[in-house]
Formats: sequence, C-alpha cells, structure tokens
Amino acid sequence: MQKRIDLRIIIAVAVLSLIGLLMIFSTAPLTVFYRQVIWLLCSVLVAIVFSRISPRIWCNLAPYIYAGLIVLLVLLLVVRPGAYPSRWFRFGSVFLQPSEFAKFATVLFLANILAVKKRMQSYRDMFAPLAAVIVPALLVFIEPDLGAAQIFFPIAILMLYWSGTRAAKLFVFFSPIVSIAASFNIYIWVAYFAGLAVFLYFQKQMVDFIYGMVSNFLAGLITPVVWSSLKTYQQQRIISFFSPWVDPQGMSWQIIQSKIAIGSGRLIGKGFLSGTQKKLAFLPERHTDFIFSCLGEEFGLLGVLLTTIVFIYLLYRLLVLAKETKNRFASIFVSGVFAWIGYQMLLNIGMTMGLLPITGVPLPFISYGGSSLLATFMALGICFSISRTRFNY
Amino acid sequence: MDENVKKFKIIRNAVIVICVIIILSSIRLQIIEGAKYNRLSENNRIRQKSVAAPRGKIFDRYGVEIANTRPGFYVSAIQSVIDESTLAELMRILDIDVAIIQERFKLQKNPFLPVKIAHDISYAQLSVLEESWDRMKGIEVGVEPLRNYPYDDLFAHVVGYVGEITQEEMIERQEYAIDDYLGRMGLEEYYEESLKGVDGIEYVEVDAWGKEVGTISEKRPIPAMYGNDLHTTLDCSLTQAVALYLEEYEKAACVCIDPRTGDVLVLYSKPGFDPNRFVHGIDEQEWQLLNIAPDAPMYNRATMSCYPCGSTFKAFVALAALDASMITEHKTFKPCQGYYRLGNRIFRCWKKHWRLDLTHAIIHSCDCYFYQLGRLVGIDTLHAKIREVGFGRLTTIDIPNEKSGLLPDRSWYERRYGKYWTEGHILNFSIGQGDILVTPLQLACAFTLFANQGRIPTPHCIQQDENTFHDTHFSQEAIALVAKGLQGVVSSGTGMLARVDGIAVCGKTGTAQNPHGDDHSLFVGYAPADDPEILVCVIVENAGHGGSVAAPIAGKIMRLFFQSQESRKHAKAN
Repeated sequence: MQKRIDLRIIIAVAVLSLIGLLMIFSTAPLTVFYRQVIWLLCSVLVAIVFSRISPRIWCNLAPYIYAGLIVLLVLLLVVRPGAYPSRWFRFGSVFLQPSEFAKFATVLFLANILAVKKRMQSYRDMFAPLAAVIVPALLVFIEPDLGAAQIFFPIAILMLYWSGTRAAKLFVFFSPIVSIAASFNIYIWVAYFAGLAVFLYFQKQMVDFIYGMVSNFLAGLITPVVWSSLKTYQQQRIISFFSPWVDPQGMSWQIIQSKIAIGSGRLIGKGFLSGTQKKLAFLPERHTDFIFSCLGEEFGLLGVLLTTIVFIYLLYRLLVLAKETKNRFASIFVSGVFAWIGYQMLLNIGMTMGLLPITGVPLPFISYGGSSLLATFMALGICFSISRTRFNY
Repeated sequence: MDENVKKFKIIRNAVIVICVIIILSSIRLQIIEGAKYNRLSENNRIRQKSVAAPRGKIFDRYGVEIANTRPGFYVSAIQSVIDESTLAELMRILDIDVAIIQERFKLQKNPFLPVKIAHDISYAQLSVLEESWDRMKGIEVGVEPLRNYPYDDLFAHVVGYVGEITQEEMIERQEYAIDDYLGRMGLEEYYEESLKGVDGIEYVEVDAWGKEVGTISEKRPIPAMYGNDLHTTLDCSLTQAVALYLEEYEKAACVCIDPRTGDVLVLYSKPGFDPNRFVHGIDEQEWQLLNIAPDAPMYNRATMSCYPCGSTFKAFVALAALDASMITEHKTFKPCQGYYRLGNRIFRCWKKHWRLDLTHAIIHSCDCYFYQLGRLVGIDTLHAKIREVGFGRLTTIDIPNEKSGLLPDRSWYERRYGKYWTEGHILNFSIGQGDILVTPLQLACAFTLFANQGRIPTPHCIQQDENTFHDTHFSQEAIALVAKGLQGVVSSGTGMLARVDGIAVCGKTGTAQNPHGDDHSLFVGYAPADDPEILVCVIVENAGHGGSVAAPIAGKIMRLFFQSQESRKHAKAN
C-alpha cells in the first residue's frame, strides 16, 4: 500500500529550518548565512533523493554505510588534518564533520541489527548493538569531542527499548555507570547498592541478579582505587572534562550571559537584529551552540514557545510514524531519528537555560553547521521514504 | 502491536513532560524574572562613566591664577579583559611597573570596570599607544582635568597639592570614587568640599570586552559641575619677591598680613616642593625622599614650625608690665653691665647698655632690663597677660595642621622641672628664650595688636566681607607706649635695617637661641606706624642676629609693598 509523505513532518522541518536561517542571518556575518542557505538547499536535495529509495534498500545498505563511516573516523584520527582537536575534513572552504554522519550511519546500522531479532531477551543479544555504538563513540571521543560521543548512548538505549528490550533489563545493564558515579560518596553508594539489590530480588531473574550485583560491586570497588591512584592534576583534568560547568570563569560566564539573553527578551523580545547581548558579543558561540539564546533575546517568550512547540510537534510526528510503521527495521530507524533529534534539542535548550551542563551540542535545524544539517536531512529523507511505505511489512 | 502502543504512550508522555519543563523554565526566565534579566542585560551594555569635575581655580587677591586645571590624557584598564601581551606593551610604552597596575586593580573592587593606571601621558606615548590600539584589549584613553600650579613651588605650602585618593581615605569618604583627586595640605585640603565640584555621569554602550561602542541616547548625561573658585587674599607678586629675597637662605619662613583685616598676603616657607609632581601620582621613592629629607620641605614652617620668639617677646613683657600698672615708661633698673647676676649664676646681655628706661630698653633690646622687669612682674602675671595675645593657642587660620606652640606657666614649669625650677627660668622666659615656642604666624598675629589698637584679627587666606577679631584688654596707653618703642627700634635701634624711606616703620628684632645650631634670625614689623597696612614677620633659620638678616629682608618686603601700592593707585587713577 502506497501512501503520501507525511506533510506535517515536512512543514515542521521547514518552519524550524526557516527559524534557523533567520537566526543565523541575525547572529552571523552574511557569508556564513549564504553558506548555510547553500547547505540547506543541498540538504533538501539529498533528502528528496533519499526519500525516493525504498527502506528495504536502506536496510541492505546499512552495514556498508556504517563501515564506510568507521573508516572515515579512523582516517580522521590517522591523518589529523588541521590543528587539535581534529574534528573536520576540509575540502577547500567546505568543512565536513564525520561525527555527524556517524550518528546517521549508526542509527541506520543499529536498526539493521535490532530488526533481525524479534525480541531482545538475553545480555548476549545486547552485545552486538552495543559494540556497534561503542566503536564510533570511542573514535569520536578520541578526537576529542565528548559532546558528540555521548549522544550515541541515549540513542542506542531508546532504540533498544523500542525494539523490545524491557526497561528493567536496560536499567540493570547500564547500572554499573550509576555505580561509578555513586562511588564518590560511600553513603550514597551503599544506599544505591541496597536499593538495587532489593529491586533485583523482586525481578526474580537469577542472571540479572548475579550480573547486576557483581558488576555494580566491582564498579563501586574499583573506581575509588583507580581514582586515588591518579595524580591531582589528572583528577582535575577528568573533573573539568566531565563537568566543564564547574569552571567558574569560562563556562559559568557563558551560562549567565545566555540566561541574561533569554530572560531579557521577556514576552516579545527585543526585536529582530536588535539583541544587545548578541550584538555586543556578551553571548559566546552566537550562531552555533547558543543560537537559541539569541532567539530568546530577539523574539522573547513567543519565539521560544513557537520553536519549542514546533520541535515537540516534529518529535511527536516522528514517534507516531515509528508506531504506525509496520516494517520492523523502518520503525526502529525512525525511533532512532526521534531519539537523536529529541536528545540534541533537549541538551541544547536545557544548556542555554542553565538547566543542563554545557556540552557543545548543536540545536538541530537551527544552529549553523553544514554537516549537522545534511546528516539530519539524510535521516529525514529515509523517514520520508518510510512514511510513504509505512503500512508495508 | 499492543506493546508498541504502550511504549509509544510512555515515550509520548516523557516528551510532553520535557516540553512542559522547557516552557515553564522559559516562562520563569522571561516573564517572572524577565525584569531582572533585562536589568542585567542593560547593566551589561550600559556603563556609567564618571566625568571628573574640574577643580575650582585659586586666585590671588589681584586675580592672578595660582592654581588652575589643564587637560591631560589618562589610560585606564579593565582587569577582567586585559591580557598579558597588552599588559607587557603598556609597561613598555608607559614605562610603568606592573606592581603599580596591580595595586590599582586591587583598588577597583569590580574587575569589569576600568580603573585609571596612568595620568598625564605625553603625546609621544599617546601616539605609540594608538599605533598598537587594535591589538590591545581592555584599555581606554581619555581626557581628564588635571591640577596645575603655574608658580610651581612658590605657593606649595599655603595652597597645598592634590593627590589620588588612597584606599584608607576612600573608607572615610564614601562620596569619593576610585580615580578622584583629594586636596592635601593647605587651602586645597581646607576648602576641599568647595573646590572639588560634582562629578558628572555619562552613559556609554560597551561591548563584551568593555570597549566603548557608542553613547546611550535613552539616558540623559549629568554634566560635571565645576568646583567653586577660591579668591584668596594672597599677593602673588609680593610672594615672588619674598622668595627672591630669601633666595640665599636655606630654611626660612615669612608671613605678611594686613593687620587691619587679618588678610594673609604672604605665607611662605622654605625649602618647598613642586606640587605639580603629585598630579600624576608621585612615585614611592620620591615621596620617601621628600618626607625624610632633613630640611623637611613638606613642612610649612610658617604655621607648623615652633621657635623661641627671642627678643620680639620683650614687646609683650613690656606691655604686660605697663598694663598691670607695675611700672611706668620711665622705670629704670640696675644699670646693665653686660650681664645680670642671679645668685651665683650669670645671665648675659648682648651689650653693655648702662641705665635705660623702658622705651630705650625696647629700642636697644636690653636683656638685663627685661630680666629685672620679668622678676618684678612675675611669671603668673606675665603668663596671664601674654596668653591674651594668642601664644600657645591656634590662630584658627584656614590652613590645616597648624601648631599651637607653647606658652609655659607656673604649673607647666613645675611639671617639667619639678621642684628644681628656679627664677632663672623666669629670666629666660622674660627675653623670649628657653621653653617658649611660637609659630611665625602666631608671632605675626600677636604683633597686630600694636598696629591695631589691641584688636587681633583672625588670620585668613580667603577674601571675606566680615572679619573676625579677638579684642585684647590691654590699655590703649600701654599699647601706644610699646608701639612708640617699636618705632624707635627701626628708627634708631636694633632694627634700623628695616627702614623704609618716607614711611614710619615699627618693629622688633629677635634672635632665637637654637640648641642644635646657629641662632635663628627674627624680625616682626609693620608700617606705616600710624595707619598700618602691612605686617611682616620674617624668620631665617641659622642666620644669626635678627637685626642683621631678618630686618633688612622685612625692610625690602615693605618697600616693595608700598611701591606697588603706589603704582596700583596710579594705574587706578589713569
């Protein structure tokens, strides 16, 4: 059964892209704006082409695309073009960021792997998908780009959940990470560990119980030992790496200025092109990471509400698409795209409002950046293709 | 797909929760706290800039500017923005120490606001600075009014100087800002409130690096209000002459006042210092040098140095005796043989005077006569009468840090020497030596009573319509008798070198004994005798006899004064 592309998704994406162009026009030099227009046109073209290709073909192509991206990421680390950190390939005046395309490829490949199994039952079933995530995440982490590297995991967790893994199992599996975080305070750790034991006992799953207890105990035991063997400067480096927002001069200044920008916009904003925080350079990263702050300053609460609601509407439509799609690969792929866009939006907006730490994640469709835009549109192109064929098994 | 629907609902609900959180927090930021953030953003971009008010000018009695303001370039820096390379370049161009800049930064509590780090930079420095302007961060250059003293050290002590306010002074004076100047010493300090003016406020738009990008039209600037001008009673040309006459002496002081009003015409102290040096912030080393120098150039000798008044004191001893009706002008004592014997101690006179009456004892300054007169009158009467002329008390001139000197009485002697104090002390007291200490200003004021029929005006440096007086209770006859003696001093006695052709001068010489070195030379006098217009008090340290050094200088001062009065009268008539 053929159906037409979901127009509502297209409208939402178009609105967000236009808001993005408007804000880039306001915050960046004209050349940057033109560049973004060209990127957007190319991205639309690519999305149209991708939407013409059947999901079945994408499913078959997934391993090759994934392999290609891994090669690119390794190449980036080997060649090390430009200065540290090396995150881009440069072709003349065009910069390409492989980590953005790696997100696309990983979502595609994960959907491919997860579609094979009807249901994720054992831990063994989780190893392959996890390996598929850890490899690109690690390569991006080495670049280094922690902000981009950590995005792979929430995407994978949501895709695992969507593909049928029980939430409790997912939690138990990833619980050692919580144990590591909790081990810095002995009381919190003991409370956490006891709570976990009770939880696992009532799950009545022997494997889960043993895995959960052992892995959490080891994680909680080893972390303090390793931590105390580190030199002070190493500890500080790790602290500042994982929580850059503790650095008071640099990062908190950005957050304060971002909150001032959004807050001073009030109901209707200071008007297009007249944000003083933006104009006088109090805001850092105006056309990339903190573009949402400029939007809040120039268009006020109305601008923030419009953008947020369009975003949420887009996410909702993607979620509906994932639900309605009969093809298992296609459904899981759409859930991955949903997680990707939703998580980045949440991180970026949360950061500009001071609710979440600074991670340097771009706001999809709105922040300046060709690679990010193109990768998102590639994924959306496939979503459109899926949307056409959503009732086919 | 039942299960899919269940998961769909869970995720959908999570999305809704996230949506609600984002919307609520943006409402909190933009609506509930919107006004606060708006204010913060305005504070970010609008900087209140204080515009220094030019200090009021200081004029002499004929309208000559003795202190004014001139424009000077300053450099200020913003601590939070300035970087290492800018700092290094600044130090190279302005030739200042990094410690000074750090000190200034410490003063400015807010690191986002600029603080002035260099004043009065030269055009050469300015042009070098402008060349590297684009590379420098957190630096501003502006024009400010600077204090200027056209006569350099001539009025240093009486006018004083201005200096940048220090951290301690800022705690006491809340209304002052960090870059403000404060009057120190002299009239600058005494009339600080009036001279200062009110700083204006300017609003400028700044970018994130603190660079000014424009002015703000929404907020009206408040213009700076000039400080009030100060019209003094000082006589610039006379002061210049005094400085010239005292040129060959190292340490000296001179006070000239109008005995009728208390107008201070000259208040000069030597050695001096150049108050212009303090305008750009004198460096530590130079400040130390000025302060520890043995000749104490920062010290206003006219109001702060206390000297024994020597023979000039005899005029007051005679006045006290006459007023107490203990003697008449014809009173004679045992003839002076060059010394006076008290018990087994010898008190010397500077010459054998033989028998003298009171008038001639004043004229020839006979110590023996006054030893005996002192013994006759007694310390208590002497102290009670002479206290009235103002010794041992502040003159309340409008110059800070005046000293009150010392006029010892019986209880003071008892405290100082215990039971061993003897009549010898009274003898020394009677000729103005020993423990009595007066400032040149006090001496000048005390002598106005002879010129002014017993009224002592309060000395002041500011022109005023109403003058205040201290009325002494000496009888007019006694005053006239002593004044007759004082006229004799200059016409035929020890002060003959102070004579002025055609004008009767009254005066008294003095030689203040100095245990640390040569005697100080003193002369106080006024003229004309019948209607005095000027009273001169000159003290030259370590110069010897009053009659030979101080008196001729006083004579020259008075001669010049009357000459210029004459030429002013002519100029007016024409």
